[in-house]
Amino acid sequence: MALLPEVKKDYGKLKNFVNGEWIEPETTKYIDVENPATTGKIGELPFSTKEDTIKAIEAANEAWMEWRETPPITRARYMFKAKNIMEDHFENIARIMTQEMGKNIDEARGETRRSIENVETAAGVTSLMMGYNLEDGAAANIDEEAIITPLGTFGAIAPFNFPAMIPFWFWPYAVATGNTYIVKPSKQVPITWNYIMEILQDVFPPGVLSIVNGSHEVADALMEHPGIKGISFVGSTPVAKYIYRHCAENGKRVQAQGGAKNSLVVMEDAVMDRTVANMLASFYGCTGQRCLAGANLVPVGQKAYDAVLPKFIEGAKKIRVGYGLNETTNMGPVVSGDAKKKILGYIEKGVEEGAKLVLDGRDIKVPGYEKGYFIGPTLFEDVTPDMTIAKEEIFGPVVAVIPQDTLDDAIEMINSSNFGNAASIYTQNGRWARDFRYYLNVGNLGINIGIVAAMSYFPFAGYKDSFFGDMHGQGKDAINFFTDRKVVIMRWF
Amino acid sequence: MVYDEASLECEFEECRTFGSVIRFALDLEITATSFYEQAKNKGIAKGPVSDIFTSFAKDHAKRKDLLEHTRREKLNEMILEPISEIDNTKYKPELQLLDRLDEKNVLNQAIEIEEKAAAFFSDTSVVAKSLLAEVARIFIKMAKENQEKISKLKSVQ
Repeated sequence: MALLPEVKKDYGKLKNFVNGEWIEPETTKYIDVENPATTGKIGELPFSTKEDTIKAIEAANEAWMEWRETPPITRARYMFKAKNIMEDHFENIARIMTQEMGKNIDEARGETRRSIENVETAAGVTSLMMGYNLEDGAAANIDEEAIITPLGTFGAIAPFNFPAMIPFWFWPYAVATGNTYIVKPSKQVPITWNYIMEILQDVFPPGVLSIVNGSHEVADALMEHPGIKGISFVGSTPVAKYIYRHCAENGKRVQAQGGAKNSLVVMEDAVMDRTVANMLASFYGCTGQRCLAGANLVPVGQKAYDAVLPKFIEGAKKIRVGYGLNETTNMGPVVSGDAKKKILGYIEKGVEEGAKLVLDGRDIKVPGYEKGYFIGPTLFEDVTPDMTIAKEEIFGPVVAVIPQDTLDDAIEMINSSNFGNAASIYTQNGRWARDFRYYLNVGNLGINIGIVAAMSYFPFAGYKDSFFGDMHGQGKDAINFFTDRKVVIMRWF
Repeated sequence: MVYDEASLECEFEECRTFGSVIRFALDLEITATSFYEQAKNKGIAKGPVSDIFTSFAKDHAKRKDLLEHTRREKLNEMILEPISEIDNTKYKPELQLLDRLDEKNVLNQAIEIEEKAAAFFSDTSVVAKSLLAEVARIFIKMAKENQEKISKLKSVQ
């Protein structure tokens, strides 16, 4: 099938959107943005400086009071307008995402939908932000109330794996509640968010929503500047720890989402055909680069092992790898040459440590895309929980099969991980499902579903080393993160 | 493919993703719309058949819009599972050049188009049911509409 057309072949040199205008950053340092399927250059990202970032912060601070004084119902109307524009550009957003990140077009369309859903949820700000009061709450004739108020300017430091969606876990809630916002997109996949900013550029008053492209210097400037009230971050655990610590040192609110090592547990009574199809989507969807992707496949007991493994391997062999703009592609490339190298290193490590490489995706060739950063579906058997590939986040299409004798053993193994992002169980047994839900220390838990991606009106974050902070992304947690409660006690003489 | 004005664009033989299922469905609708419009414009379909073709062309254009809406609104990336049971070759109608068709044959061609589409939407709804229940419902409705069209076409044969 012919490829879907790319929106553009080259998006040129990116600029920053500050105070309602696209401006050239002061920096002279640029890096190429690549299409991971073709390895061709599709744009140039500036490494904006601290001064570039401060300009954006000052403009956002300047815009804040007027935006704060804009009534919530009016702010909601801005969100409706943003939603409608996003709908008009739905397909372009998805295709750019595929072009720069590699995920297939269905996944990109799904991500675009989820981005819009967060705008829709945030548009309910008039209800979500409502405070509370109690007549005679303090004493007779003395009333007490709690008002929910915005704080100022916030920022997002975004990862590569969801080029559009992840800033949407944050900015719609921040802006709808009366804050101003600065997004720093991933340096690997900045084009999607620059496109989104371009289509939304006339929606909000100048300074309300801004974008600063770059790398560490931008992130540090956001974390250190007193004009920023809080930071939302998604990425690896070591960086999440740094962000958490650095924001705390600078007196900021922070929600820092880290890495994951998610286990999918299969019980002997699972509906195997449905289970296998769902697990394939979890392990190999987005080429394993979701923080909610399955990583360890855990059959409980020999019967489950015998029932699930052959079907899973058969299914994995049928996964069609290619450029995501071909609508028949099941799995695209990984995001970059560095990512590919790192994943191949983990596969080598698995072999060295004695795991049995049953499906080897290292040498896959995709006709027409020979230079692309492709890795085929990979699966290891005979993996023990102490092996590197069982413990560390690989972030690629690599499955480690780690059988366990009982459900209790599986729960113990999962709970012993440093990560606590997600886990799933496949079973028809309510008691097993209940025990799994009750005893597991993870933030997102699936029962017969392998990608436990909270909808926009539910909170999203993991436990343990998968999350540093208190309030999660999305939903009411996001409203709380971007607002404070002001208690007023009133007495009238 | 002999009917280039309304030839199916799909070159792939298997639908393995939600996107490719919708793409094939869109191509079926585009083909049907084009076929009915051209058969009428070329004067092959006359009288009551012409009226039916006008109405069917509009219906298929609306269904294309519905499919595009479905692709945007009903897709949930959480359950984008690979699809493996849909062989498109079974559902491609055998198309013939309109200029070679008289009114009787053009009706047969229309029935062929509707039958293949009915089979596609009916079979695919079973697969879709396990993935995206809302999509399954739409496909079942579309298959039913194809069957109704077949009955109407047969009534004027």
